[in-house]
Amino acid sequence: MKQENYQLETTTLKTTEPITLWRTEKGTIEIGKNTLAISIKLNDQRKGYIFHGHGKLLLDTIVETQEGAVGKPVESELNELFLMLGETEEIQQHLSAAAKEDLTKMGYESEQGFVDKAVTLVDQFFGKMRMHNHQCCGNNHGVLFAFPNEAGKLDVLIANGSKLVYKATNQVFVSNDGKVVLKTPTEVIVSGDNRKSLVIKKCMCYRNH
Amino acid sequence: MVRIELSEDLKEEMKKLREELAKLKDQLRDVTEREQRRSRGIYIDVGNRVHDYEDVMESVAEGIHGELEKSIFIGPGGVRIIKGTVAHREEEEVEVNFPKAAEVMSALGQEHRLKILKELVGGGKYINELQEKLSEITTSTLSSHLKVLEEAGLVVQEKMRGRYLITIPGRTAYKMATRITRFLERGNQE
Repeated sequence: MKQENYQLETTTLKTTEPITLWRTEKGTIEIGKNTLAISIKLNDQRKGYIFHGHGKLLLDTIVETQEGAVGKPVESELNELFLMLGETEEIQQHLSAAAKEDLTKMGYESEQGFVDKAVTLVDQFFGKMRMHNHQCCGNNHGVLFAFPNEAGKLDVLIANGSKLVYKATNQVFVSNDGKVVLKTPTEVIVSGDNRKSLVIKKCMCYRNH
Repeated sequence: MVRIELSEDLKEEMKKLREELAKLKDQLRDVTEREQRRSRGIYIDVGNRVHDYEDVMESVAEGIHGELEKSIFIGPGGVRIIKGTVAHREEEEVEVNFPKAAEVMSALGQEHRLKILKELVGGGKYINELQEKLSEITTSTLSSHLKVLEEAGLVVQEKMRGRYLITIPGRTAYKMATRITRFLERGNQE
């Protein structure tokens, strides 16, 4: 399979108002006004953006079981660059060309500084994910986000309707129409309808010999 | 010494008799075992080669541990397979996080908070639903109680829907509190 080429558009944009990039009953991703953006193109079609501004990620990675709830909500500020692939038409309407002061506010001396960081993130994402044709996103209203984490890797969120996959350093959360799988460093929880569930835990007990 | 030569027919007859006798012995043993099963419940013949049941149980336990490695499985009904046999566990060896234990006990040590946990045992609830059930508590007090329970890890709030859910430790702590109370009440009655 031939890997297709992605390109970054040359114009740096900014959001003209706060935008909700994704929202379901499980979570939301919002970005504020004046967030920097640069379009990602694949075969001359706009497929997504790299954003850098002030935003917020909320995700209820909680599983209800008959024994009680497991997991905690993810609540993080999006103050670093992140990548989005998915529907772009609506977002494009809320973008305009960024001015030098917009770049300065985000700590860039020039447009090239932002572009360089965006290229690094896109290279990391495409190199890691080995994406070919992005049928998962954009063609059927699915959306993908990649957030660089403290470990220098990417936390990835993929959503399509009620289907959701979130992979971070310390957890994996998969949700599909009420059926949920959550993997944390200490346990794996599989939950189906009516809170019926299976919890597989790392043993915390001991032997004295 | 007189040597008696048996005829071929007689030899064949004796062989049949021996086989007949062996069958009768087997049948007698089956009847005895059935009687033992009826009188003692399940009867397992472990034979003469097993000298030490503890060794056998230990090796079985080790085999299971090898398969499960470091896992405990908890099914819907709360079934657990725990590494280490009960006989090997001693509470003194468990390292207790005393500050955390004190935080949890402190969170439990308030009547209204126990009532909140009781309501959440039945399923996740919004704050207004809790307010309806616990009308003697003001909204601001209810919120501060929920915050204490959340910080102790006994309750978790969904960020999107806002519902409060009891966690596995929360349910366990509530059960523990109610069991200790029942135990003490029984003791006082005696």
